[in-house]
Amino acid sequence: MTAHGTQPKTRACTWCGTEVEAGLAAGGGQQDLPIYCCSGCEAAALIVAGAGLDAYFERRELLPPRPSAGAVAGWDHIPRVALAGGLVQAQLHVDGLRCAACTWVTERVVLDSPGVVEAHVSYGTGAARIVWDPAQGDLLEALSRVQRLGYRPRAVDVAGTGDRDLLLRLGVAAFATSNVMMIVAALYLGWLGGMTGPYQVLFRWVVLILSTPVALYSAAPFFRGAVEGLKVRLLHMDLPIAIAVAAIYGQGLVATLRGEDAWLDSMTMLVTLLLAGRVLEQRGRRRAAEAAQALAGQAPTTARRLTGSGTGTGTGTGMGTGVEEVSVDLLAVGDRLTVASGEDLAADGVVTAGKGLMQVAMLTGESEPIEVGPGRSVVAGAVLVSGDIQVEVQAPASESLLARMADMLRDAASRPPLPTAADRLAPWFVAFTLLTAAAALIGWGLAVDLSTAARVAVSVLVVACPCALALSAPLTAHAGLGAAARRGLLLRSGDAVHRTALVDLVALDKTGTLTWGRPRVGQADDAVLRIAAGIERASVHPIARAIVAAAAARGIALPLGQDILETPGRGISGVVDGQRYHLGAGDAGVVVLTDASGVEVGQLHLTDQIRDDVRSAVAGLVGFGVGVALVTGDHPTVAQGIAAQAGISEVWAGQTPQDKAQWVADRRAQGHRVMFVGDGVNDGPALAEADVGIAMGHGAASSVLVADGILVGGRLSALRAGVVAARAAERATRRNIVRSVGYNVLAVTLALSGAINPLIAAVLMPLSSALVIGGALSVERRVRKELER
Amino acid sequence: MNAVFYLLPVALLLSGTFLLLYLFAVRQGQFDDLDDPPLRMLDDD
Repeated sequence: MTAHGTQPKTRACTWCGTEVEAGLAAGGGQQDLPIYCCSGCEAAALIVAGAGLDAYFERRELLPPRPSAGAVAGWDHIPRVALAGGLVQAQLHVDGLRCAACTWVTERVVLDSPGVVEAHVSYGTGAARIVWDPAQGDLLEALSRVQRLGYRPRAVDVAGTGDRDLLLRLGVAAFATSNVMMIVAALYLGWLGGMTGPYQVLFRWVVLILSTPVALYSAAPFFRGAVEGLKVRLLHMDLPIAIAVAAIYGQGLVATLRGEDAWLDSMTMLVTLLLAGRVLEQRGRRRAAEAAQALAGQAPTTARRLTGSGTGTGTGTGMGTGVEEVSVDLLAVGDRLTVASGEDLAADGVVTAGKGLMQVAMLTGESEPIEVGPGRSVVAGAVLVSGDIQVEVQAPASESLLARMADMLRDAASRPPLPTAADRLAPWFVAFTLLTAAAALIGWGLAVDLSTAARVAVSVLVVACPCALALSAPLTAHAGLGAAARRGLLLRSGDAVHRTALVDLVALDKTGTLTWGRPRVGQADDAVLRIAAGIERASVHPIARAIVAAAAARGIALPLGQDILETPGRGISGVVDGQRYHLGAGDAGVVVLTDASGVEVGQLHLTDQIRDDVRSAVAGLVGFGVGVALVTGDHPTVAQGIAAQAGISEVWAGQTPQDKAQWVADRRAQGHRVMFVGDGVNDGPALAEADVGIAMGHGAASSVLVADGILVGGRLSALRAGVVAARAAERATRRNIVRSVGYNVLAVTLALSGAINPLIAAVLMPLSSALVIGGALSVERRVRKELER
Repeated sequence: MNAVFYLLPVALLLSGTFLLLYLFAVRQGQFDDLDDPPLRMLDDD
């Protein structure tokens, strides 16, 4: 080892904060000047400085990602909308935003690009909207600036028009309700004080006028839902609601004309509450759908094609060996593409020339890059970590594995939610309501007279409206989803909450789930680590990143390795402190550092380590009676070791993907409700088979596809919190069903006896809804209490 | 009590104005993103 007489002076990279030795860094190292660890950081800082945004350095709370040297992926597929005045608008998504200052600087840099007139980036969602003048500039220029800062723009499938339609309907309903309530209060008080004719007429007509837009406009989604349900012979909650709204509004119309009491106030209130519930439900669902889509990622939209190859119809002519950049839509089977280090592959194909390392984590969840060479099949979306290859296209880009998966995900996101417990009760409600109303009509008609019978029948239809029940499902689902999401478990639907509540056995995959799924430096000498990190600092290989991260974590200043030579499969070499070193693979999990003459200088041990909170998460699950098992394809001794560290006693090792799915099926046959947590393609069958499949947030897109939920942030303790939240939501749902059905039985009994009038209904209906809302609101409080225990 | 005959329309007109303002705001997209504005309030651009 070369000794360093004096500790070199170090400073943090002005852009990304990596410690660098002054004097060695790119861009000079004088004390008062900025200093950069690499040219990417320098370029990023220059963009920011060039736009006059130096304030960014003071306001940022988190350091930005290190800019990638990767090729600029095409953004041709971002939908563009022509606006008035020749302007064009695009909606897209920016990944990697870590703090408010990231958002700010991204927005400003885009605004500073030529031609851009408007830019809005949302920190909360990463959604971005850019408006520009195509005569003066181009979107791609603006996006490439963002890319060079280290943030990653990409196209989105769902443009965020949001829930404006429901909000408009809700606004109208809320306005009508608040005014109707004031007026009917006067009417009801008028019963006592003997209100005279003209006032009553005025009030009743105003109530009718205010209720009309509520019945015809605000309540339209319920009518539409009911009709669509009937078309496919499915009775759900919208039908009884639509019946009640129609009955009340019809009665109100007739009663107002004839100068009688109406129930319109109950109707406006009911519609308002139900719409509010829908808004909450929709927001929660959209958030989960967006998270899934962000994970699915995207293949690049342009590719570099060798001209004269295959049957392509691009602009390139002649039979030369030139390279042209084309949109992936123009790629045809047989075209040959060239892919350089750091680039994404645009279409599925076979390697024809060259060698390299490919990262396919996005598709398979496998963190180790695989070696590819001639004859090997490769898939779109894979990243060439190092090397240089040529690929012959075997399927049009639109039919690549990645594109098909993205399509499936889009379908899954747009699929209507599964029927809830309340929806399953709906047919009974409809039958019960209509039968009781008919009975009232006949009974009272025979006993008294037809007009009294009609009045009673209408009152039955009114009070039998399952408003509280219909409100209960979205509210408790929202409360459960929210309580779980705040703790790191994003469940897809209210139905997933229901199934999570019943889970009594959790099966965990090992690699990537119980462990980090990527190598981390264990044992290593500081001096060895310093040299290795100096050589590896520019590499995007996962092992290189682990080494650089370990050096940074130990506070070691990184020297700038020079004259770096990276040979796929053989390692990397470079000059540090004036001496050449080579870094290559030794035994499994060991990286060996040698000097120029091949003499070993030191070793770095890299292992996949267990996540920090596994032990407490497992203990927590076992603590409330949920079994935990480790089910992995790995070798039994490795699995036993990891299980012992995690505190798991049940271990199933050497399981193939089919074995895992069979294991889950067996447990389910024994009566267990199984949650399977995994991150790879090989976990797909088990995730689909389980009652609840949970994918890891960094996992393969295909595992996200079949999963009911996503563990974001990689904290396993979120599993325990998620189960607690789901159970609390489930209890609240049951309580709410009992409460609302109890109310309906009571109200219908009263109505049948003729004892109910509009005032009693106006008090009872909101009261039952308030009970249900209270039940839903208590979920978060109960979850917090239980988790603190 | 006769005041009701003109006070009621006036009250509805007033509250109706606010409804229209709300509808306008929704159409403008002011409710599309409720998470961001709190993070931006100190931006002095």
